Amino acid sequence: MSIVIVENLSKNYSGEHALRTVSFSVKKGTIYGIIGADGAGKTTLMRILTTLIPADSGTVSIMGYHFKKDVQSIRSSIGYMPQRFSLYQDLSVKENILFFADVFGISGTERKEGIQRLLSFSRLEKFKNRRAAHLSGGMKQKLALCCALIHKPQVLLLDEPTTGVDPVSRKEFSEILFDLKKQGITILVSTPYMDEADMCDELMIIHKGSVLRNGCPDSLKMDLPYRVYQVENRQQTVHCPPAVIKRKGIRMVYPSAGTIHVMADPEQINAEEVFEFTYAAFSGFETVKEVNPSIEDLFFYLVFSTDELKP
Amino acid sequence: MIQRLYAIVLKELRHILRDNQTLFIILAMPVIMMFLYGYALTMDIIDAPILIINPNHDAYVNELTARIDASAMFKVCGTIKSCSDIQAQFRRHHVKIICRFPASFSIDLNNGGTAAPVQVLIDGSDPNTAIILKNAFEGILSSITLDMMGIKPADIIIVNQRILYNQEQKSALFFVPGLMAIILLMISALLTSLTITREKELGTLEQLLVSPLHPFEIILGKIIPYVILSGIDGVLILITGNLAFGVNVAGSLTFLALTGTIYIFASLSIGMLISTVATTQQQAMMMVMPITMLPTIILSGFIFPLSSLPIALRLVSNIVPATWFLQIIRGIILKGTGIRELWLQMAILCGISFFLIAVSVKRFRGHL
Repeated sequence: MSIVIVENLSKNYSGEHALRTVSFSVKKGTIYGIIGADGAGKTTLMRILTTLIPADSGTVSIMGYHFKKDVQSIRSSIGYMPQRFSLYQDLSVKENILFFADVFGISGTERKEGIQRLLSFSRLEKFKNRRAAHLSGGMKQKLALCCALIHKPQVLLLDEPTTGVDPVSRKEFSEILFDLKKQGITILVSTPYMDEADMCDELMIIHKGSVLRNGCPDSLKMDLPYRVYQVENRQQTVHCPPAVIKRKGIRMVYPSAGTIHVMADPEQINAEEVFEFTYAAFSGFETVKEVNPSIEDLFFYLVFSTDELKP
Repeated sequence: MIQRLYAIVLKELRHILRDNQTLFIILAMPVIMMFLYGYALTMDIIDAPILIINPNHDAYVNELTARIDASAMFKVCGTIKSCSDIQAQFRRHHVKIICRFPASFSIDLNNGGTAAPVQVLIDGSDPNTAIILKNAFEGILSSITLDMMGIKPADIIIVNQRILYNQEQKSALFFVPGLMAIILLMISALLTSLTITREKELGTLEQLLVSPLHPFEIILGKIIPYVILSGIDGVLILITGNLAFGVNVAGSLTFLALTGTIYIFASLSIGMLISTVATTQQQAMMMVMPITMLPTIILSGFIFPLSSLPIALRLVSNIVPATWFLQIIRGIILKGTGIRELWLQMAILCGISFFLIAVSVKRFRGHL
């Protein structure tokens, strides 16, 4: 059963396509990832879904509410966390949560218990009297999540919640999202980090306002018609700028988490020839091995092949 | 609705109380401005410097000079025997009046029949002051002279004049109520114009919009804390006016509080309207000055009487809230006027506030 249905959504900003005919649907109780580089249209999409900006064409339905006719119903039944930290820096953790509790009309024991639940669940109990301005990036994001959850929304929209957050906090944040999913909350999360794709049940890859692919991560990885080889050095990170290689069988090379990935067409080149190419092309590496393709590999493949078609 | 409104009010109060700079502006500025304007805006003339030209060291003139010097309005800054370049005296010294007695002054005076000529030159670069000086000096010179000669003026008409409501004709009594109108407007409009733009700048508005809050709740919730603060400012201004300038409230304090609140609402709604239009705090500040300060000082009757304005500007002055509040507050403080005489002004102020708040709510878009 789909709880969010988006059909043919388009948005232009002074002639520039921010979104073009974006369609997708999200099943209840799943985590849906919106993955793309900066400027891909993630925030525009999020803001249209949260009724913050109007779309040029297309429709959105969230929990059966229409995004233009039932604005108030959508706003009071979703939880939204904007990309930029948008809570009050001069209010304490508890005061921020209480403010949103009041705004959403939560009172009495529900209010008291709700705050306690969120503080312990986000592990912010110890910092409840600290002003938001003095929290670390990860703690701020958790506080923002608490404020978005105070009214027990069924759908949670998170716009790049882990951007600018340290790796430990990112890990913790994704665990929190799994907990929320267990409670039956549907989560839409956008991210520029490809490695976060694997926590999603389904995802879309968005580039320059268009959806390049969508589906579950494992089946998406199968879409990659090429093999991926990883060039690495355990002592130091190796680096090269992403490039399309016009050499027989080799498609492209790009950096990936301190290693270099080489994408090759198995029909034109075999593993040994790839090794020969890498020996000739890069210095200072130790090993070359074939790896299972990741969403990042698919992303580079999709982006480079579309950009090649439409320069 | 009440809970949501309460949430916004509480949040705004916390913002204000935790921001020392804003708090200082709110509490200290009115008092500082009272002193600045109160002393700078006075039209009372005290110790205007006067130069006496007394060619013969005439004893009669010397006596006159001493009496002029003793008056509160004039101060003799020198007596000289002759002067070839009068203009140089005005240019070089801070002299406002030069009074040249002829060498034959005491003879002329005691001659009987013919009038004794005296030349009086007045610095006219500030025409208002020049006219006041002229009238005052003419009066003082003849009354002192008559007194010295022991002559009583002939009783043709006996004018029993008495100036009501400001018997000593102190400028402060006229300006302090006006200042209250100006300062309340400046503080209220400026502070509210910053509140929504600040949320726009910090990005917090995005979170507020994705909530069941209605624009009306956001705007009213933001106005209420500033009504309280501006009320405190009003009390501070009254206390300063009383202690420093000796202004007493002739009318009812309760009625003053009521009308003051209505006026504060009108001022805050101007600020609110600005903040729904401006996108940054800086922009809001730039808009507040010309929209509030200039019309209020120039078109409200604060300094220049409304009757001396050209007809087009007089029409504009009707939409300036301070125009109406000045009539109210001068009435209450100086004359002790009540609601029966001032209901129209109050109704107009209410109308202006409701109109501005309605426009702000309409302009405050529900999306980014």
